[in-house]
Amino acid sequence: MAMLDCKEVLDNLSDYIDGEGSEELRKAIELHISRCGRCRVVFDTTGKMLKIVTDAEPFEVPLAVSARLYARLEKVLAEE
Amino acid sequence: MVEPDKMTERDGPEDDLLLVERILAGDRRAFESLVRKHERRVFRVTVAVLGNAEDAEEAMQDTFVKAFRHIAQFRRESRFTTWLTRIAVNEALQKRQARKNTVSLDEVAEAEVKVFPHRSHQWHEDPEKLFGKQEVRMMVEDAIRALPPIYRETFVLRDVEGFRAEEAAEILGLTLPAIKSRLLRARLLMREALAARLEDAPALPNRILITAGRMRDMIAIKLMKAMGQ
Repeated sequence: MAMLDCKEVLDNLSDYIDGEGSEELRKAIELHISRCGRCRVVFDTTGKMLKIVTDAEPFEVPLAVSARLYARLEKVLAEE
Repeated sequence: MVEPDKMTERDGPEDDLLLVERILAGDRRAFESLVRKHERRVFRVTVAVLGNAEDAEEAMQDTFVKAFRHIAQFRRESRFTTWLTRIAVNEALQKRQARKNTVSLDEVAEAEVKVFPHRSHQWHEDPEKLFGKQEVRMMVEDAIRALPPIYRETFVLRDVEGFRAEEAAEILGLTLPAIKSRLLRARLLMREALAARLEDAPALPNRILITAGRMRDMIAIKLMKAMGQ
């Protein structure tokens, strides 16, 4: 496979992170990021971003919201 | 309400099927277990579509009411989670479409967002050491809320809820390439948003020293010129 440029590498960033794409493409991406500091940082920090998002467990249901949900469902179930 | 069964979001699809069977047999406690298991996911998905907790709350309530009323229509061709999430997305989309001009704004957003990474410094290894868990969570929530809606939905389904790309496509009624394209842009936008807070910038004392060094050199050059050297 010919040497990939930064745009081609970036276009495949998501698939690479998700473990998709052919072995040949993955190797070409790895070769590029071993030589290109900028793409290496983008790949590395995108992976870090995903871990931060997972660890953060965003958007908890507020207790009051949960209480109102159960109150409404109780009413609906009683009427059915 | 009655005491909930001890179930968590982590329980598998078999548990959902058992609960559905019990609901169909008239066991209403089973429905409460199902709600407890999925309320957080449904809330996050409705926030993802609508962008705020107030509208999301109403959509979440309507989702569970609809799920209860239509539970007999669950065909088991997909996971229960996928079926329920599709209802949640549809409820939230209906509310979004009822809001003025939202659809056309989405189309503009999709057409205009061209994402290229601008920030290229490494990040601190452990953001929680810098900010604390609560602040990191708020940072993440702000970044997700700031995404254009079409990217926010895909990002939350795929990277927060962990749906496979094929399932996200089914839930949103999109093709797989469309999901992948939106996911790439969403991830790059999220990276840019968090980079603004997490990049390793030179520490302030270092920057002062660098500036002072430059000024010293300039003064020395001027003095030498003035002295005719």
